[in-house]
Amino acid sequence: MSTPGSTIAAGKRAAAVVKTALFLTTILIWAFPVIWVIMTSFKARTDIFTLPPKIFFSPTVEHYVEAFLRSSDITRGIGNSLLVAGLTTLLTLLIAVPAGYAFARVTFRFRNQMSFFALISQMAPPIGLIIPYFFILSRTNMLNTYTGLIAIHMSLTVPFSIWLMITYFQDLPTSLEESAAIDGASPFTTFFRVVLPTVWGGVGVTAIFAFIESWNEFLYAVVLTGSRTKTVPVAIFSFLTTEESLWGPFTATGVSIMAPVILVALFAQRQMIKGMTLGATKG
Amino acid sequence: MDNMAPSKKAGFQKERERFGYAMVSPSMVFLIAVTTLPLVSLLAMSFFRIDLTSPMDNGWAGVENYTEIIKDHRFWHSMRLTAVYTTVTVVLQVMIGLALAMAFFRGFRGQGAMRVSVLLPMILAPVVVGLSWRTLILTPEYGILDYLSILMGFGSKPWLVHPSWALVSVILIHTWQWTPFAFLVFLASLNAMPLEPLEAALLDTRNSWQRFRFVILPMIRPAVYIVIIIRTMVALRAFAAIFSATGGGPGTATEILNLYAYRVSFNSLNLGYGAALGTLLLLLTVGISMVFFRMRKAN
Repeated sequence: MSTPGSTIAAGKRAAAVVKTALFLTTILIWAFPVIWVIMTSFKARTDIFTLPPKIFFSPTVEHYVEAFLRSSDITRGIGNSLLVAGLTTLLTLLIAVPAGYAFARVTFRFRNQMSFFALISQMAPPIGLIIPYFFILSRTNMLNTYTGLIAIHMSLTVPFSIWLMITYFQDLPTSLEESAAIDGASPFTTFFRVVLPTVWGGVGVTAIFAFIESWNEFLYAVVLTGSRTKTVPVAIFSFLTTEESLWGPFTATGVSIMAPVILVALFAQRQMIKGMTLGATKG
Repeated sequence: MDNMAPSKKAGFQKERERFGYAMVSPSMVFLIAVTTLPLVSLLAMSFFRIDLTSPMDNGWAGVENYTEIIKDHRFWHSMRLTAVYTTVTVVLQVMIGLALAMAFFRGFRGQGAMRVSVLLPMILAPVVVGLSWRTLILTPEYGILDYLSILMGFGSKPWLVHPSWALVSVILIHTWQWTPFAFLVFLASLNAMPLEPLEAALLDTRNSWQRFRFVILPMIRPAVYIVIIIRTMVALRAFAAIFSATGGGPGTATEILNLYAYRVSFNSLNLGYGAALGTLLLLLTVGISMVFFRMRKAN
């Protein structure tokens, strides 16, 4: 016996089931590869190559020990990456936050032209930039230096940081500067004392993106760094160049590269997604 | 501020203007130094023969690099691959992203888990993504995708060793990593959509496809355009994930223009020829963005 009401209810239930299945599949497709890398990094050598693949196993940290202790490459790589990404982030904020503020809140000649320049400068093809970079840095004996790599990473981070900061500064009420101006504060004082403290959240999100960009960057790093300055995305190749693939130490290193990014994503997912889609939804 | 004396107001404006320049000049000078100047050098280099393996013959070459490129089959092959790779990945991202956004907008339980799992691929190092796919996912039998393929009766596939399959694989990797972006942008714009037209459409006899085509799509068209533009620009920069998954191979099967320019410049150390390839890539990028810009204005 099926009354109209019960068929509608059944239809709704079926739709809910389909939606839940789709929901789980979606999560699985995007999260599983990451989870699988993490799981593999804790599997004993003999548990990695099994058919069917092992979901349950007794975890071990042997690959981490091997990746970090056997060769100094990875530990040094992580140190180099921290240094390069840290300094890139700091220097980027130092010049991009003031620029973002001026573009958002101050009127001056060529303002639109200059902010447009900042926008299009991030479209420069990296492969087109790295060829002259390499040539110039090799002529000036700057290959294999931190300075060269940091400057080039900043060519990636400064443009989007300026634009991200513009959107955060635009959201502030104009009364902020007006009341400071009435009090006779100089524009610099107003910026540092009044405006900046209200956008720390935005600065934080910008810092996260700048750090991740530099931390993950590969093309510039592989061309410009040598054994001393090699960052960890370059160093991780050492486990897979030979015919024998060392999945254990490779995944352990992979997890070490992913770990800070995953941790940040767990805490700041909302703000990061907002920052990522901001340009696209406002534009 | 209206009751200020005119001279004082002008002085105030002058001070604001000076302040503006002071705030933007460090980053402007920096960006000119690290983007504009290198691109000018790139253009200049493309007119020279700069082969680091035989430096004695290096010097002015005029348009020689370009005339060589026109006859270079490997270049045209890489252009075709770039076109295929860019078009297919962008279309897939937009279609899958839109479908998922349609399925999940208007709230659902477990949004937090969804957000984290789709955010992750986008912020992971492309090198780690490429290498992980090459090993843990696409290795014959032991790779999880190949294992699933066998399990479902399709058999093991030559994911990275057969030319066409390798192209499929790098497209798959890029689509996996970046569809979340399209999904999240579409989700945000759907959620920001006014509900009245949709409810009016629900009362209409239109079926769900018509509802999508005539009510929803027109409202999120700007978002679709912007996603296409951003994703095309990023696809044209693709390098690390392909480099780590296939290295451009087997042979030249996945050697998009970026990979070709890289191999010429840093494996063969022929920087002049590489610079000419890089210049063409720059022109391609500028050309495509101008077309997009026009299209967006027209809409």
